[in-house]
Amino acid sequence: MIKTENFNISLPGFNLHDINLSIEEGGFFVLMGPTGAGKTVLLEAMAGLVPVKSGRIIVEGKDVTRLPPEKRGISIVYQDYALFPHLTVIENIKYGLHFHKVDRKEAKERLDRLLHDLDIGNIAQRFPANLSGGELQRVALARALMIDPRVLLLDEPLSALDPRFKEEIRSGLKRLHRVSRVTFLMVTHDFVDALSLANRVAVMNEGKIAQTGSIEDIFQRPISKFVADFVGMKNLFPAIFSGSRAIIDNLKIELGRIPANSHGYIAIRPEDIVLSKEPFTSSMRNLFRGIVSGIFDRGFYYEVHIRVREATFISLITKKSLFELGVREGVEILISFKSTAIHSF
Amino acid sequence: MSNRGNVSKIKIVSIFFSLLLALFILVQIICVVTHTTLPALITSVCSKEIRFAIELSLITSLISTILCIIISIPTAYALARYDFFGKSLINTILDAPLALPPLVAGVGLLILFGTTPFGKALAEAGIVFVFTPLGIVVAQFFVNVPFMFRILRGTFQGINPRYEHVAQTLGCTDTQAFRYVTLPMAKNGLLAGSIITWSKGIGEFGAALMLAGATRMKTETLPISLYLNMSCGELNLAIAAATILIIISLGSLFIFERYGGFARVF
Repeated sequence: MIKTENFNISLPGFNLHDINLSIEEGGFFVLMGPTGAGKTVLLEAMAGLVPVKSGRIIVEGKDVTRLPPEKRGISIVYQDYALFPHLTVIENIKYGLHFHKVDRKEAKERLDRLLHDLDIGNIAQRFPANLSGGELQRVALARALMIDPRVLLLDEPLSALDPRFKEEIRSGLKRLHRVSRVTFLMVTHDFVDALSLANRVAVMNEGKIAQTGSIEDIFQRPISKFVADFVGMKNLFPAIFSGSRAIIDNLKIELGRIPANSHGYIAIRPEDIVLSKEPFTSSMRNLFRGIVSGIFDRGFYYEVHIRVREATFISLITKKSLFELGVREGVEILISFKSTAIHSF
Repeated sequence: MSNRGNVSKIKIVSIFFSLLLALFILVQIICVVTHTTLPALITSVCSKEIRFAIELSLITSLISTILCIIISIPTAYALARYDFFGKSLINTILDAPLALPPLVAGVGLLILFGTTPFGKALAEAGIVFVFTPLGIVVAQFFVNVPFMFRILRGTFQGINPRYEHVAQTLGCTDTQAFRYVTLPMAKNGLLAGSIITWSKGIGEFGAALMLAGATRMKTETLPISLYLNMSCGELNLAIAAATILIIISLGSLFIFERYGGFARVF
């Protein structure tokens, strides 16, 4: 477990106020927030690289606030990976061993396992300058995990990578977290990272923690306008998957595909939810009857909340559609969405 | 931008000037090297006096370069990495010897080591800088340390502190991170800085003349030898010294351009 208590950091032109975080042992914690919120500084302060003005940091019950970085058992992987350019991949990975007492046999086993798990055995003798972004990232992860840290800090590890490979890398990261049993704390501004990896999430803004909680808490029950605006992704529901269907609050939703896991979440963008007065024949696989429970002016659009049994769906429509459909609070209306518009994880 | 067939005037004029300048430099080098015949040059280089000058120049410049490296590494690192009170003032002071004429620097050193209680105490302890080879080393160090310092400062500034951060989280102290990560990464800058400092040291004349004097076969480095032999009409010996200096300078320039492209002196 890693815990910060009333963490205060004061840097020229930048402050962090009363950061209280608690990350369970072996957890995967995701820290989100807009650029300039102080996420990287917080990670660096936890690792002991930035001085703390007041407060404590506790790793597995031990107060490490006054310890230098090398004695904390906290590894960090930066966005740009910071692999040592003068060392080969294998030398990079083994770098930390020189400063830790590790049994030779155990070190060999750990190295072989990491090379295998991260699939980097074939590039072991290369220099970082000759690696692709994905390879750099995997080597950086191996280097950080080679010393068997208590906590691994990841500073936007996916943002520098080709979006096409992100899904694959996410599942790799998830697998690595499971097999290494190390506590992960990852900074990201991609919601999909949070949704597919995290078991707990914190949202940060202007040097403060705006909200901490489960994914549902953050996305379904934001405690402030900032968090609500920040998470933006509406229509997020915990779901049980059965065949190609997702079941949320007794509603059966057709996904058009069979998800890998038995339960998880589904999310639908508000603009993908179509409102209509009469059922219409189209490719829409999902059609439900609901009651308009709220209408909010969002500038160019109107945000309409529609209650379908226990679930509330949110749709964005233009002012013109609002009048044409005669949408008013309490009116019955049909909602429909394509199965391809449903994100499941 | 010029279109085809419409030749730009500024292009022609500017290229003309660059060619003119290159020619001017080339001509004076050729003048020196071709002033004497090859057998005469070889005889001169083998003479006792020139051999002494070569040896003294190599030894003093090597020692002063090593001193420059030893002092510049921590200094440059401090000014590249840390913020502290008086940092910009120290930066300015450290650059001063670059702007100071070497003769003036030499006078300053002469007064410091010749007349102050500090200098006298050193002299009494047997460490004599005035009119000795030791003075040459000090003069070279004083005039050239800004080159080493500036190149290294630029090099360290160019190395992201994240490398040290990561190294520290991997278990080493900040000193070990510097030793095993930053220093190896600064290799090219160190090499370039050493080469330029050494080559400037070999050619150092003004400050060395003031502090160490120009005594034949005692404080006679290559530039001093050139000066002494030129003034007493030993043209062949003077040319020999000059030719060796040219070879060293051009060789150093080549190595510097090759490895120090990123490090800026000014």
